[in-house]
Amino acid sequence: MTTSGVALIVVLGQLLAGAEMTVGAPNFAHDSTRRALPIDTTYDGRGATGRLPCRIGDCVRQQIHFDAARFDSVTAYALRSLLDSAAERGLPTAPLINRALEGAARKAGGPKILLVVRQYVVALESAREMLGTESSVAELEAGASALRAGIDARMLTAIRASRAVGAAVTPLVVMTDIVARGVPAATARDAVTAIARMPRSDEALLGLQVTVAKNSVRGPGMAVDAIQRYLRGTVPGSNSSSAPATVDRKPIRPPSP
Amino acid sequence: MTDNTLTFPTPDEDEVLGAQIAAMYAATPAAEAGTADRVARTVLANSMHTASRSALGVLRPRWWWGAVAATLLVSVTLRPWRVVSRMVGAGASVNAVSNGAAVAQPTGMVTLLSGGDEVRFDLTLPALAREVAIVGDFNGWDEKATPMLRRNADNSWSARVPLTPGRHVYAFVIDGTRWLVDPLAPQVPDSGFGPSNAVMVESATQ
Repeated sequence: MTTSGVALIVVLGQLLAGAEMTVGAPNFAHDSTRRALPIDTTYDGRGATGRLPCRIGDCVRQQIHFDAARFDSVTAYALRSLLDSAAERGLPTAPLINRALEGAARKAGGPKILLVVRQYVVALESAREMLGTESSVAELEAGASALRAGIDARMLTAIRASRAVGAAVTPLVVMTDIVARGVPAATARDAVTAIARMPRSDEALLGLQVTVAKNSVRGPGMAVDAIQRYLRGTVPGSNSSSAPATVDRKPIRPPSP
Repeated sequence: MTDNTLTFPTPDEDEVLGAQIAAMYAATPAAEAGTADRVARTVLANSMHTASRSALGVLRPRWWWGAVAATLLVSVTLRPWRVVSRMVGAGASVNAVSNGAAVAQPTGMVTLLSGGDEVRFDLTLPALAREVAIVGDFNGWDEKATPMLRRNADNSWSARVPLTPGRHVYAFVIDGTRWLVDPLAPQVPDSGFGPSNAVMVESATQ
């Protein structure tokens, strides 16, 4: 069965069911003539049944632009099902739509887009469990990215404890970045939480990220050394080790007698 | 005790010495007419290092070895055509960066403009590019939505984007085909679509 046949069946099924969704109309990304068809590109967070599925936060109720014309009809229909499912579970749909749009922009295939979005749903749900249901959408996104970087639940909880609700985005992003650059997760957690507990420390956290980014080019050990130096200069009373954490530098030979 | 002091000849002795040298030169037998010409030709041929009597001197074996050595030097070591391949697109150098090779890196900068609701993205590429666009959550990942403007002739590109406070994922698209990540900006783990994206975080109220 061809793709157009599947799309036709999908559209007929929707018409018979009386659903309001018109995104399943035949519409192929490579067919410019069909893009002129009227397409409902607005996703309002309601499920196919029309009820409001989520009362947690204000993220799900807001109007979200879902450009269905950028996907083939089968992928668009499956995406809408995924969005409905996520909304019913109280998850924000804007990050999911963004991942799907990113995949379309990168010329990824429909199955790949659906796989990534489905994995992102799981990551968002896990992040919400670890960071709390009151967390902002940006925090959930940052937490989901942290989980993908290999940061475990205890570290997310430690970051959550270091900041108030809605203010943990920067610590999460910085910790995800420096762990991805090779810094051991425990070292990253200790450094980020130490700085995050200080008042108005977002700039200091971003400075830590830049320091690690510049030094990690020469190896993870150099990045760890840079973290320790940064902590000594930023956090009052920091008791970080003064000994170098790496041996990948040439030892300094004492002067000859 | 002897006196080893070296004494210079007086002007009178100079005249005597000069006369003796002139007498010795006059006593020297004259050379044959062809000898001077032969000596001059030999010296000239050796000094110019070229064949003095044959136009095919350039094909001597020693020139072949020189040509082979020069060809090997250019083809193996210098490889000037690699510069051309770098200028085709910046993505080649970006891939080299991701592999840890020692090549020039793109450099980016994110600046929060006064007022706090607009952000300027700057990008300097190590190679030429025809067009650069920034894509992200803020423009629906649309390559046509936010093209960057070339600032100077030094491959510097810039774009001003109105952004709300929060977390924004973005990337750069070079010539509509190659995706680029700012190497020093915060990175987002690969979500499965390819190169990692960079993240811009504005300071939130704490």
